[in-house]
Amino acid sequence: MAKQPKPPVTIRRRLRGAEPYLWMLPSMLLMAVMILIPIFTVFRYSVSEISRSGRIKGFNGLENFKDVVSSPNFWHTLTNTLVWTVVVVGFSTVIGFVLALVLNQKFPGRKLIRALVIFPWATSLIIQAVIWKYIINADYGSLNVILTKLGLIDHFINWTSTAEAFFAWECWVGIFVTVPFVTFCVLSGLQSIDSSYYEAAEIDGATFWNKMFKVTLPLVRPSLTVSTVLNIIYVFNSFPIIWTISKGDPADKTHTLVTYLYKLSFTNNRAGQAAAVSVIGFVILAICASIYMIMSLRGEEADQ
Amino acid sequence: MRKRKPWQTTLLYLFVFVVAIVIIYPYFVMFTTAAKTDAEMYSANMTILPLEWQWSNFINAWKAAPVFRYFLNSLLVAGGATLVAIICGIPAAYAMARMRFKGKGFFLGAVIMSQMFSPVVLLVGIYRLMTDMHLANSLVGLILLNAAFNQAFAIWLLRGTFLTISSEMEQAAKIDGCGTIQALIRVLLPVSAPGIVTALIFVFINAWNEYTIALTLISDDIMKPITVGINVFYGYNFIQWQYLFATSLFATIPVIILFLCIEKHLVAGLTSGGVKG
Repeated sequence: MAKQPKPPVTIRRRLRGAEPYLWMLPSMLLMAVMILIPIFTVFRYSVSEISRSGRIKGFNGLENFKDVVSSPNFWHTLTNTLVWTVVVVGFSTVIGFVLALVLNQKFPGRKLIRALVIFPWATSLIIQAVIWKYIINADYGSLNVILTKLGLIDHFINWTSTAEAFFAWECWVGIFVTVPFVTFCVLSGLQSIDSSYYEAAEIDGATFWNKMFKVTLPLVRPSLTVSTVLNIIYVFNSFPIIWTISKGDPADKTHTLVTYLYKLSFTNNRAGQAAAVSVIGFVILAICASIYMIMSLRGEEADQ
Repeated sequence: MRKRKPWQTTLLYLFVFVVAIVIIYPYFVMFTTAAKTDAEMYSANMTILPLEWQWSNFINAWKAAPVFRYFLNSLLVAGGATLVAIICGIPAAYAMARMRFKGKGFFLGAVIMSQMFSPVVLLVGIYRLMTDMHLANSLVGLILLNAAFNQAFAIWLLRGTFLTISSEMEQAAKIDGCGTIQALIRVLLPVSAPGIVTALIFVFINAWNEYTIALTLISDDIMKPITVGINVFYGYNFIQWQYLFATSLFATIPVIILFLCIEKHLVAGLTSGGVKG
């Protein structure tokens, strides 16, 4: 068999230098096309005049942004988004944390409860939103039926008589679907804590709260941070719950940014304004991310 | 060991009981409503359990709409997305776990940052891209998008798994004359099977449950995955709750079972990958 001529050393070395990038190429290509290009399009749309058919007519500066912020609905939506994110992430984190502490105890039936907590995490958001929409229905919803049978109410209640009530129920569904993720993140943190820490604390006469604040919390902080950061992003961008339960109505009073931009784009045919709302959303998340970075850098300095 | 006081035990059980009831409740409603008759659904005297269990609803739901087709679409999209995500993800995760190169920190950061952009905020751009590529209203488009938006988690999980495995065995294999690719396939992948299976199932579930992209891109009824398809039971003036919930149960139960299988690995992977990254 004839020997293949070997390529000169420099080319081989260069190839070897490129090797890691070749390994990453398929993945990066996929993400570049499917994520990066849409990001660019959104930014371009946000500063362009868009025709009804979705084609770019020309650059129009900050016109879309001006149109967006001049609508009172936008400001209401922005407040809603803040409330939605803080309430859902806040309550989910507290409930999920307590639930993780409980599930970390030994008791009969623990495995069963652990399995149950998986349910809301595994079920599609759209399906959960539809069930809850049915449950709170004023005319034939399950909640009214059960409360009547239990004798707690004597007539059917309209659970969603106001926009605020609607929104509160949506927050509840948001919490319901978010708790499992927090629980399991914290649980994995708890399970990695060496029990000798607690034994040492007990010898020193530590109370329950001492142990909580001096041992448990500092040691699960990394898991808690991961779950909180990811949840802020997910909840901020969460679409199916609100879209299914209220579609942002009544009178556009229950929108968050993502349902608002969806309606602008795909119901009202205002792709330019929708893109502007997207960009505003990016900016808000980017600000949150930089606050997080600064805080974690400070934390590292304080540790040293 | 620490002993609980009686009141603590009572409190613990009370809490667990309430949590269990609240979680089971919507699934209980889904199941009992799915088995009700039409007459009972809207009767004046409503009951919690069906007076007459109409099991035929679970069969008739399949005939009332192209439900079988929806399931097939979901299976194709979720299966395809999983395949693409893993085939692209394994080499990327391998490079990020085992190799040293310029810009590694940048790539890792970019992967994590991509999490910030959920499909819904990019829908305007995604819609345009898919129209330009003639992939709107096609399952291929959904497969590629789901694969891309799950890349971050797949890489994160896989890299976390690879990092927990010592590279000594691969080095030994290379000394024995294996190439890098052979060492990866013959040595590393078999050892990291639990992590890979976890990533596979996690991507599959995410793609199976995806709603927003499919809702926006798919307009042909027979192309819809199940999450969008169930909307046919949800007309403006007529809602067939029984069929809606029967179908939803069919769409949910397999996913819950899959999820239960990977729960342990998944959670460990999510947090360790994050802390180490």
